[in-house]
Amino acid sequence: MLFCGAALAALVTITALRLDGGGAETVPAAGPAAVDSTVCIAPTEYMRSHHMKMLDKWRDEAVREGERTHVTPDGRRFEKSLKTCLGCHSNNRMFCYMCHLYANVKPTCWNCHLSPIEIPPQ
Amino acid sequence: MNQQRREFLKRAGLAGLAGLGAVAGIIPTFALEKTDPSVFSNRPVPGATRWGMLIDTRKCRDGCDECVAACHRTHNVPDFGDSKNEIKWIWKAPYEKAFPTSSRQFGSRNLDGLEVLTLCNHCAEPPCTKACPTKATFRRWDGIVAMDYHRCIGCRFCMAACPYGSRSFNWLDPRPAIETYSPDYPTRERGVVEKCNFCSERLVKGLQPACVEACRGKAITFGDLNDPESAIRTMLAENETVQRKPELGTLPSVFYII
Ligand code: SF4
Ligand code: SF4
Repeated sequence: MLFCGAALAALVTITALRLDGGGAETVPAAGPAAVDSTVCIAPTEYMRSHHMKMLDKWRDEAVREGERTHVTPDGRRFEKSLKTCLGCHSNNRMFCYMCHLYANVKPTCWNCHLSPIEIPPQ
Repeated sequence: MNQQRREFLKRAGLAGLAGLGAVAGIIPTFALEKTDPSVFSNRPVPGATRWGMLIDTRKCRDGCDECVAACHRTHNVPDFGDSKNEIKWIWKAPYEKAFPTSSRQFGSRNLDGLEVLTLCNHCAEPPCTKACPTKATFRRWDGIVAMDYHRCIGCRFCMAACPYGSRSFNWLDPRPAIETYSPDYPTRERGVVEKCNFCSERLVKGLQPACVEACRGKAITFGDLNDPESAIRTMLAENETVQRKPELGTLPSVFYII
């Protein structure tokens, strides 16, 4: 599965395209990334206690500064997007809910962002 | 325990195992897929790019609304079905509404009944961003006037400030008014303002805005106004173009060939 994903990602990213409306800042097409759910962007313990702070930081950097790439200490690169998280964690569609329910916290993310339970698996 | 119930429990157990398989990443879900960021540039240089749009009304077909539909589908724009609650990012307006200050004295017959495509102008001097008390709407590094919905408090100052009516307010929860969700973009919630974002979420992936892609008549050209070689600049140099209400000094980034 992993290899298929990687091959697919490679295939899609090779076809870099130029916005034919011109544009100095042309960007090559960014394709889907391979899903490797065996390893997270940071150790599980850290993510459990700090994911909300990290998401807040990601949001401000991506939305307001246009800095969209997160680089981990070991050099892996991720898009600063909820989709990076859900690319793996939507495999368990209740992943976010279970813990939030247990901890009795009510984050407002899903007021706008589509959660895995709102999007049927394809 | 009767045999039927026992059989049921065994099957339920198996289904549960399949669920575990999904947790372990054996079964992929592609609906919310992550993006390979290796092609993203790092921190963008402010002001290097200024995205702009040129709409050729001669090529825009009467009664066609494919660009509008594509945009609203892509961005989960709700359709409440009444004009009071209407949310719009891009729409067609009669010429005299889009260009109310242009002279119509002894005007051309061609303008009678002309419908013009209108959207946020992504002004270089946007009055909306100056009115916003929370900086929820702001001018980005690439000239796009963006909304940060996380910060919007729904005061609607920006709507009063925009001279083009480019902004809509969510009086109601938009979710029930969205026919099918596009997983590539969030929805909004009740109490925030929304408007066209020049498809910033598509530009970052190297795609053209949804309306440009949807237009079969190729009436919309999109590109970098700061690049003298770009197609949009070439067309601006070769054609007589107009902006909406230029006398206000908002410096719109959307141009029209009438
Ligand atoms: S058209 Fe209106 S909403 Fe868009 S940038 Fe100009 S003032 Fe702001
Ligand atoms: S409605 Fe939102 S975006 Fe508009 S001025 Fe108020 S806080 Fe800013």
